[in-house]
Order: sequence, then C-alpha cells, then structure tokens
Amino acid sequence: MSRHGRLGRRELGGLAIGAFAAGALRSAQAADATTFVSGFGLPINLDPHQIFDVPMQAVMLNAYDNLYRYQGDPPKIVPWLAESHTVSADGLTWEFKLRSGVKFHDGSPLTADDVVYSFRRMLALALAPAGAFLKILKPEGVTAPEPLVVRFKLETSYAPFFAAIPSISIVNPRQIKANEKDGDWAKSWLASNGAGSGSYRIVPAGYRPLEYLDMEIFDGHFLGWSDNPKPVRKIACRPTKESSTRLLALLDGSLDCTDTNLPADQVAQINASKIAYVQKDVVMRTFIIRMNNTKPPFDNLNARRCFAHAFNYMGFITDILGGYATRDPYPMPDTLWGIPKDAKGYDYDLAKAKEYMAKAVAEGAPMKRPFELHVQSENEQSVQGAQLFQSDLAQIGINLKVVGNIWSNLTTAAAKPETTPDMWVHWVSTYFVDPENWVGQMYDSQFHGTWKASAYYKNPEVDALLRKARALTKQEERAPLYEEAIRKIMADSPDIWIYNSMQLQGLNKRIKGRRFCTVGQGAEMRWVTLAS
Amino acid sequence: MIPILRKLGRDLPAMLGLGIVLVVLVIAILGPLLAPYPEDAAAAHLLRRLKPPSAAFPFGTDNLGRDIFSRVILGARGALSIALTVVSTAMAIGVPLGLIAGYRGGWLSETIMRVTDVVLAIPQLVLALALAQLMSPSIESAMLALSLTYWPFFTRIVYAETRRLSASLFVDALRGIGASTPRIVFLHILPNAISPVIVRATIGLGFTILVAAVLGFLGMGATPPAPDWGLAIAESRTYLPRAWWYATFPGLAILITVMGFNLLGDGLRDIVDPRLRRSR
Amino acid sequence: MLRFVLRRVALVLPSLAGLLVVTFLLIHAVPSDPAVAMAGDAATPEQIERLRKQYGLDRPIWEQFAVYLGKVATLDLGESAFTRRPVARDIVQRLPATLELTFCALALSVFIGVPLGVMAGLKHNTWPDYLLRVFSVLGIAVAAFWFAIMLQLLFSMQLGWLPLRGELDVSIARPTRVTGFLLLDCLIAGRLDAFADAARHLVLPAVTLSLGGLATIVRFTRAGVLDTLQHDFVFYERAMGYRRLRLIWIYVLRNSVTATVTQIGLLFGGLIAGGVVVEAIFDWPGIGSYTVQAILTGDRQVMLAVTLLVGTVYAGVNILVDVVHGLLDPRLMERT
Repeated sequence: MSRHGRLGRRELGGLAIGAFAAGALRSAQAADATTFVSGFGLPINLDPHQIFDVPMQAVMLNAYDNLYRYQGDPPKIVPWLAESHTVSADGLTWEFKLRSGVKFHDGSPLTADDVVYSFRRMLALALAPAGAFLKILKPEGVTAPEPLVVRFKLETSYAPFFAAIPSISIVNPRQIKANEKDGDWAKSWLASNGAGSGSYRIVPAGYRPLEYLDMEIFDGHFLGWSDNPKPVRKIACRPTKESSTRLLALLDGSLDCTDTNLPADQVAQINASKIAYVQKDVVMRTFIIRMNNTKPPFDNLNARRCFAHAFNYMGFITDILGGYATRDPYPMPDTLWGIPKDAKGYDYDLAKAKEYMAKAVAEGAPMKRPFELHVQSENEQSVQGAQLFQSDLAQIGINLKVVGNIWSNLTTAAAKPETTPDMWVHWVSTYFVDPENWVGQMYDSQFHGTWKASAYYKNPEVDALLRKARALTKQEERAPLYEEAIRKIMADSPDIWIYNSMQLQGLNKRIKGRRFCTVGQGAEMRWVTLAS
Repeated sequence: MIPILRKLGRDLPAMLGLGIVLVVLVIAILGPLLAPYPEDAAAAHLLRRLKPPSAAFPFGTDNLGRDIFSRVILGARGALSIALTVVSTAMAIGVPLGLIAGYRGGWLSETIMRVTDVVLAIPQLVLALALAQLMSPSIESAMLALSLTYWPFFTRIVYAETRRLSASLFVDALRGIGASTPRIVFLHILPNAISPVIVRATIGLGFTILVAAVLGFLGMGATPPAPDWGLAIAESRTYLPRAWWYATFPGLAILITVMGFNLLGDGLRDIVDPRLRRSR
Repeated sequence: MLRFVLRRVALVLPSLAGLLVVTFLLIHAVPSDPAVAMAGDAATPEQIERLRKQYGLDRPIWEQFAVYLGKVATLDLGESAFTRRPVARDIVQRLPATLELTFCALALSVFIGVPLGVMAGLKHNTWPDYLLRVFSVLGIAVAAFWFAIMLQLLFSMQLGWLPLRGELDVSIARPTRVTGFLLLDCLIAGRLDAFADAARHLVLPAVTLSLGGLATIVRFTRAGVLDTLQHDFVFYERAMGYRRLRLIWIYVLRNSVTATVTQIGLLFGGLIAGGVVVEAIFDWPGIGSYTVQAILTGDRQVMLAVTLLVGTVYAGVNILVDVVHGLLDPRLMERT
C-alpha cells in the first residue's frame, strides 16, 4: 500500500500506469525539528504600512509588534507593546502607556517616539492600513508627552479607532532613516527588509518577492521565550501556487501548513493520511453575492428578493462546501455583537422567487434581460457557487451568465455604479473586529466608490443609524443601533448573504501549541513547537 | 489530388491521424445527439458529485455532478470551432500579406515584414492575458489573442514561397505574354505556395487546441459552465489525485485530438515537401 | 559576415520600438487601474486619487509614454508599483532561474532527440519509424500541466526519488550569489551537497519543459537524415567506400545543429508561455510566474519590461540562428 494511506492503489492505477503500483517507497527528506515550512501566501511586499491584507498579517504578526493585539478565539483585544490605555469622555483623546525595556531587532530600545514615528509614517504613505485613520487623525495629532506615553488626538469621535489600533505595526525609525531616499520614508527599502521588534526577524537574503521568505527567531523579544521552551527557530515561507502541488507537498511532509483556503473537497484526502490533518476554525469572513442596486431590475425590491430566494444556500454549504461553513443570513458574521438575532433571513425557495419575480415584472422590472455574475476565476468556490446559482435561476426562467474576472479589475469596476457588474461575488474578511468592518463600510452611502460598498445601497435612515453608532464609544450604546440598521438593511435585501466561513487549513501532525485567532488566521508562530 | 491520397494511404501514422480527425469531426457535429446527458452542459446535480466511472457515467462525474462523458463529447465542438476560427482568421490575415510582400517587394514589403517581426516578438501569453482583461476572459478573447499572434507564421511562409516563385522562369514567361498581376498571383503563385500553408494550418489546428487549453487552465479562456476540455482539467486540479477520472478523460481528449492533427499534418508535409518527394 | 550581423541588428531596433508602442497601448487599454490595486483592500477613493497623481497615471497616455521612453533610453526600467523594487533588479534575480531550466530542457531534447531522429530516418517507413513519429507527436500533443502533475505523483509521491517543488531544499543553505545561476553558484562555492540537491530539483520541471523541443528535434533530425540519404553525393561517397552510418553522422550533425538552434529560438520565444505553467506547478521562482503576477495585478512597469526583454532575447536569438545557418550554408548570407 502507499505510504500515505489516501493515495490508494485504485486511484493511482487509474491515474496512469502500473508503474505507480510497482514503485519502491521511500520517505521524503524529513524537515528538521526547528524549521517550520509555511504555506501561508506572501504579501506583495513586506512593508506593513503599505500592505494590509491577510498574507501581510502572517508576516507582521511574526516580524512586528503592535500597541494592542487581537488574541484568542473568539478574538479579544489585549495589551501588547502598551500596558494600558485611557480615553477621554468625549472619545477624542487616547493615551497609551508603553512597556519598558522593549528592544528592536537591532538592539535599540523601543520608545514612544518610535510609536509616533510609525503612525506618522503610516499616515504619510496613506496606503491600505491608513484607510481607517486618514479622516480622523492628523500627523501632528500623534505625540509623545513622556518617553513611554503616546497620545492621540482625534479630529472626530470614532469608535472603531481602538479596534483598528492592532493593524498598525511599530517600525524602527533608525533603520528606516538610514535607508531613506528623497524623503520616501524608505518605502522601497522596507518593502524587502524588516525593521521591527517581533518574535521573528526577516532575513533579507532569504527573500524573493512572492516566491519565498525566511524569518529567524529573535531571542531578545520582549515577551521572552519562557512560555515556549522549544520554539520554531526558522520560519521558511514557501507558498505553493498550484492547489494540487499544495496538497501533495503537505502529504509528503515538505510543507508544514497550507494556506487557509483549503477546498472542502481536499479535507477527506488529508485526514486519511498519516502525516497531516485538517484544522477547522470558525473565522469572521462572510461570503456575499453583491447586487448593483442602481441597475434595473436590481433597483426593484421584489426583484432583489426574487434573487435572494433563488440561491440554494444549504445545498451549497452542505454539498459543495462539505458542511464546512455556517449559514449566515445577516450582512455580517453572526458571531459578532450587534446582530438582531430575531431577524429572519432569506431561504432557498424557488416558488417564492417566482412570486417575487411576477410582482417585479408587474412593476415593470426587466427580469428577462440576461444578467452577468462576475467571479474571480481562480477561486474555485465562487465559481461553483455561481454555477449553482445559474442552474437554479435557469429553472425560473432567468438567464445568468458567469463571467470570470480578476480582483484588480473588479475593484476598479466597482468604483463607479455604471461599471459595477450586475452581480459579483466576494468575501469580507476581518480587518478589525467591529461592525464597522462590515455593515458600517458596506451600507453607509458615504462609502460609495469603495468595493465594500459596491451594492450602491442608499437608505437615509440606515445612514443616520450607522453614523450615530460610529461616533459613540460604548459597545452597549452602539449595539442596538446596529441591530436596528441591520433589520432595515435585511428588509431591503440589497445583497445575497450566504455564509460565515469555517477556515480550513491543512497542518502537519508535528505542529503543537498553535494558537488561533481570526485576525491573522492562525499565522502567529511564537507558541508553536514541532514534535520530532 | 488522387495521387496525394494514395500516398497518404500508404503512410500508417498519417492514416491514423486522418481517422482521428474524422471521428472528432463527427463527434463535434453530432455532439448533443451522441451525449447521454446533453443537459449537463450547464445543469448542476449536487447529489452525484465526483462519482467514479460506472455504467451510468462511463467517465465519472465532476465537481457539480455533471456527466464527464457527455461533457467530453460536447467539448469537441468548442475545441474544433476555436481551432478552425483561429487558423482561418490567421490565414485570412497572413496569406494576403505574404503574397503582397513577396510579389511587390520594395518599401511595402519591408514594412509588412517588419510588422510581422514585431508581432512575432509579442509574448503570446502577455497578449492573451491583456486581451482577456480588456474584453473580460472568454473564448472570444482567447480566440482573438491566438489569431493575432498566429498570422505572422503564414505571412512568413507565403512570403518565402512567393519570393521564390516570382523569380522563377514560368512567372517571367507569364509576365512576358502579358498576364495581369492578379491573374499571376491568384492563379499561378498562390496554388503553388499553398501546400506548405495547408501543412502549417493542419498542425496549427492541433496547436491551437493545446494553447486554448493552457489559457483555460490559467483562467483566461473558456468560462464556466462551458464543457471546455482545458477548463475541465483546470477545475479538476483541486480533486487530484482522488478524482483521477476528472482530469484524465478531458486530458486524453486533448491529447488524442491534437495528436490526430499533428500526425495528419506530418503526413501531408512528407508528401508535399519537395525535398522529400524523391524518397517516395 | 560582420556587415550581415550589423544589418540584422539595425533592422531589430525599429522592431523593438514598434513592440514597445504596441505593448504600451495594449497595457493602457486594460481597465484594471494600478492605483486601485496599489492602494490595497481598505483604501478610500481619496487615497486612490492621490496615488494616481503621484505615479502620473492621470497624465495623457502619450505623455506617460514619453516619460517611459526617456527612462528606457537610459536603461532604467522603472520601479514595480508592488514589490517597490527596481524592475531590473527583480528580473536579474529571476531570469537565471528560468534560463537554467530552459538550458537543461534544451540539453535533454538534443541528447535524446538527435539519436532517436537518426534512428527514425534510417528505418524510414518501418514500424520503429512509425512508433517514433507517434511518440514524438505525443510529446507535442500532451498538455504540459497534466503531464507535470503525473510526474509529481509518480516520482515524488509514489517513488520518492525526486523533490516535488522548488529549486532547493529548505534545510540547505543557499550559496552566495555570484552568477545567479544556482548550479553554477553551488560549484563556485564548492558546495557539492547543494549542487546535488539543486540538480535533483531541476529534473522534473526540465523533463516537462523538454517535451515539445524533443519532438521537434526528432522531426528535424529525421527529415535531415532522409534529405541526406537521397543526395547523389551520398551514393557517390558510398561507392567510394565510406560507411553509410559515418556519412550520416557527418551530415546529420549539420542538420541537427540547425534544428537545435531553431529550437533555441522557439524555446526562448515561448520563454514565458512555456515557463508559466511549469513554474507554477513546480513553484519555480523564475520569470514566468513574475509576469503572470504582474499581469494579474496590473503592474505596468513589469509588463513592459518583460515584453521588452522577451522581444530583445527573441530578436537576438533570431540573429544568432541566421548567423549559424549562414555559417553552415554561406549561400544564405549572400542572399540577404
């Protein structure tokens, strides 16, 4: 029998030739017990003030530190470089007290001035992670009144400010200034180097953009290593490009973990092997089919309801995703606060869909025109979901065309209502744990022009509720406002909300001590040990 | 024509190629009649996903429960129409340009051949990907990209042949008796230059199917749910090696079809290539 | 000879300029806005507008082209909007990996293809000839991505003889970079362990990539042998007592050099197209995956630079092919 259980003789026999079966078996080169070969995707460059996406989290949670950090499952925001913080009653002044004795990788101490520099650099570059801060924070609003105290003076009260604090990495100004060119804040240099204080340090010689990255342990990390006597000493990021190669590499032991988008269909194969297993974690990542509410017939409520009733939610989740997701009828993760638990979502019911279709047609909505649903062609799951939707819509006489597209084209198109497709599919991941990350930015009409708000939904009552909730600081005061806004949004059915993800990741069985948090998706390595 | 066929008849691999091409052609024409589940071109059946080959589904089912046997049969039409469209478009552009450049000479000839060089140097994939983004990825964008990069081959062949022929004695003689230029070019030069073009086109048909499959694999060709062979292999990657049937049968369909065209093309080349004529 | 080469080089320059114009127009017609991609997931419209200004993306297209041309003239290929590194540096880092792979594939094609082609030619129209022809056609007809996965399953997973992916095992330290060619660098550093490991990593991708070339070389060689056999001088020299096989080797060698050089031209022309799939499946850190990534993210500087690079290499190789053909058959050189 084959070495890995799941590569059974029957399957392989069909694959090609008898040579498979006759082969001499030899185990792959065993990786050593201090090197972790990571399959997490690499960010497009290494500067945490330029890039802010899921792959970047995997680098920055290991190579950099933040004032506060999300830890645990469900995620809690905990002090990290900061020991504590205070906020003024009007919600405008925030003060963070730093730990003492923290050192950067080059041995220099980390002080409040460095934190001020980091926030100012982030604001000056004004790239992805600055999105949450640009409107509410000016560079001169960040100051260091004492060596270990950082003060933020906000322009307006903004509750999600604190939730977004963990998204900013603290960088070492001394290393950056040494590599600056024409006042560029060393953005070219930091894109392929590291200047942090995190548990691991980036090895510049071991970096080739989007191909590989090596990080080695930083013994002088401020948390020390007493909580993990046998840590991973080297993280070798070797992301795979092909989903078949990813699976094979995990099964032959040359990859310790896959990325976090493992297709449900590979779960059984991996779990049947001796060497690896599939880790399931509930994450906050919603899967949504967007409708362009400005394009007829999507400007018609009955038409939108017709589409919402035509998607086979449970068939998709149970059969195609193998049950590895939970039905989420709300416009944000059902595990987050601010959800109106009594509100009823839309279910799969073609009879109801037909009724709404008849009503929409009676109101003059052009339901017979051909529709386009854009998907990211490389994303298996959305392609399958789209085909399922197409198959069901065909049964009630609606003609849907699935169009393959790429992310950068889609986000460009979504910047204007005229170019936004009839429908498109995407996820909303956790950038910060707050309703603002979902409903706030998706359904407040002031965000029209960003891809998150590409339904172009506009309801003045919802706008007012969301804006009021954003300006308050107390969760107990904000929650009822979000609940009410969500009830109204759901009644208007602007989008088709499908599920909240279960994250599937293939892991080698030698991995022990992994700590999962939805922010970073389990990529933080400092507690991991490799059993020999 | 008859002697060519007789020669071809003696060439076993070429006959094999011809046979394959004819069978694929019949399948392409009769596709929906031959396929046991013609509705599986689009319909999804969640309850029978990824079933191995059986009597009901000889090639198994795919990730949406569709019969792969039916989809392989239905895919023949798409594959052939891509191939025929691309090659005939490329010929329609390339052959006249080659004739003009070869017969006229001078600056016009020089310009045409330089443009040909430029187009030959454009990486085919860059063009295909750029067009796919420009028009949104589809069979049409793939066909356009392939046509736009394939015509220079015909221009070069026809150019070389025309140059050779227009310098030959019989063309001189035709000019001497006052034959018009179109008459010389279309009635005398073109028929003599056409055999290498046909050989190239035959091989090109197979080649196009293969490149279209690569584009499908990269997500830049056919879009779901089209029963495209390359797309099927691309979609099957996630299920390998467990669902071996998913990739294997569309893969074999590509292999056999492309092989058919190449064997036929090789056979034709052996016959029409003047250098090889004497050996037969 | 020198005049011939110079004339060819002079003809290449306008072609490259034309190539640049075409590519520039093509890339700018693509709707994907690099500023949107650069700004990232959580960006606001104001952030995007700022980037558009910063990178001159709001200028008219002819102005952008003029700026670009000015830079290229000074051999500055610009900075990638994403990796934030000079494009030239990224290319210099990745090109050797692709070249190394291509050379090895070519070597395999030649060393296996020429003897097979000779055999097919000698046994013309017999069963071995038919079989070889069918097999060489199979080599062209098989979809590389499918074949690559089959090789991985057999040699890496089942037999465990060869590594699955990458160019070097993680446990082996990379030799200091001198030439950029991993195999050469290993030898220069005297690191035989790394050399052996790198060579093992090369086998599967090189075999996959060599298939098409192998088939072409078999065909060329076969045709060459047939061609040689029917010439009068062969009958004459045979009559003079030369052995047939020896004659064939002499003439065949000439033909296979021609075929090989032509094949180099084709392989480099298809450098990216052929490389993309192989590099993706075997996680080979070369230029192909870099190009695809650039296209998918709308990284214009990289797309332009790569097109220019491939165009230049292609033109250079074509000149080389002509020169070699000319050396083998001097009549050709007089004609042009």
